[in-house]
Amino acid sequence: MKKFAFALAAAGALLSASLAQADTLSEVKARGTLKCGVNQGLDGFSAKDDKGQWTGFDVDLCRAVAAAVLGDAGKVEYVPLSAEARFPALQKGEIDLLSRNSTWTLSREADLKLIFAGVSYYDGQGFLVPIARNINGALELGSAKVCVQAGTTSVLNARDYARQNNLQLEMIELPSVDEVVKSYADGKCDVITTDVSQLYALRLKLPKPADHIVLPDVISKEPLGPVVRQGDDRWLNVVKWSLYALLNAEELGISTATLDQALASEKPDVKRFVGTEGNYGEQLGLGKDWAVLIVKSVGNYGEVFERNIGATSKLGIPRGINQLWSVGGIQYAPPIR
Amino acid sequence: MRLSVFGIALAVMAGLSLSAANAQMRPSAAVGGSGIVDVPEKPGYVPSPEEEQLDPAFRRQPVYFRTTEPPGTIIIHTDERFLYLVMGDNRALRYGIGVGRDGFQWSGLQKVSRKAEWPDWTPPPEMIERQPYLPRFMAGGPGNPMGAAALYLGQTVYRIHGTNMPNTIGMAVSSGCFRLVNSDVADLFSRVPVGTKVIIRQAPAL
Repeated sequence: MKKFAFALAAAGALLSASLAQADTLSEVKARGTLKCGVNQGLDGFSAKDDKGQWTGFDVDLCRAVAAAVLGDAGKVEYVPLSAEARFPALQKGEIDLLSRNSTWTLSREADLKLIFAGVSYYDGQGFLVPIARNINGALELGSAKVCVQAGTTSVLNARDYARQNNLQLEMIELPSVDEVVKSYADGKCDVITTDVSQLYALRLKLPKPADHIVLPDVISKEPLGPVVRQGDDRWLNVVKWSLYALLNAEELGISTATLDQALASEKPDVKRFVGTEGNYGEQLGLGKDWAVLIVKSVGNYGEVFERNIGATSKLGIPRGINQLWSVGGIQYAPPIR
Repeated sequence: MRLSVFGIALAVMAGLSLSAANAQMRPSAAVGGSGIVDVPEKPGYVPSPEEEQLDPAFRRQPVYFRTTEPPGTIIIHTDERFLYLVMGDNRALRYGIGVGRDGFQWSGLQKVSRKAEWPDWTPPPEMIERQPYLPRFMAGGPGNPMGAAALYLGQTVYRIHGTNMPNTIGMAVSSGCFRLVNSDVADLFSRVPVGTKVIIRQAPAL
């Protein structure tokens, strides 16, 4: 018994020692590949294309980090994970980074000992309505019949929202998402409510997707972002600033199309970004051209968004709250300096 | 008879080349740049209702839009090819636009100084130089490149107007400033008075 306790204490000490010395950046460099946990299949965010290549919004974040660290966005080992398996896989060190539509919450940091590197996509609950109803916002929903999947937080959120805003919404709870879509398509309800990213996916299942819009209102907070283990601040910085590089690139007007122009630019903030001034890449433990490699490989945040989930993609999600803070949204990255 | 056949052939040809240009030039909001396509004006051409039906991404719709500008303000993002009419409470009515050469020249604050429905059209000399076959004057009405309405911006040559070429919405085109499909410009016309604040924002310069 005593022995066992001692062994446990020793293991604990060992574990904390290894945590203290955690150096994922060096490990990834030595290994030559980035192990990135992704969704097994979610249209626009993470899925294999017809050539067997992983593509998507979350996948591009893995590629961006690999480009910054290894100079090659292709050097990613994708680990498809279920919702249950994702956090244990990260805790056990089976992956270096989790980029899998995961919501940033208190308990996932404080209880699971993980840390979110930022918000790559602000999701939240919204409402899908037929354009013909000519509604400009959720406050105009009045006493609409709302189809929602039973037993989800969406039911509670919609009830709270209705109560707070004196709406007489009639909630029609259905056992599955497919039945929600069918009831709406059959005209048994006027509205569907769930997370905005899912509303756009559901819209594709309707006979005439273009006849329906998602209202601008977002009534709950589901911030999605990349996750790493606690206790490795250097690696956290690499992932965090890779995401911020994507956002800063868009704000500065640096895209795959303008990268050459940016490399020749005389503007100080552009020079700091592309590495023609300062040693910001080195400070992160990366090369001078870390941010250039990111943009060259995946483009800027707007390009990543549009290509995978944006208005011209299959899902057709408008930028909405994910637009940059300077042009109507809330996406905001601290400056590189 | 010969004339009208010729006219149709021209329109068909122009339509074809336009849709090809369209596919290339639809901006992905963030790519930016203003690779302006030389799309000749087609005075007299009256688009079909089908043509006036925009791609869903460019149709008028309420969107999330955070701004410190008061409701009623017009904000134009040339890079995105969108015009926003601020509605307050973090939302705006968003209209798809085509941006002409002049539209990329200037950013800052203007005011709607005059409004006109179905305005006449007097192509400026530089446009005549590029497209010498254009009429020197054309009375307002369907088929007029100025479309259903125009909002004049301050004392400048800039204006928000309609179009008889709806498939140029979303593009950077050779002439004009900010063009909306006719049903949209009529809608905007009915919502904003003379004196409305108009803010024009360009892509960041490198």
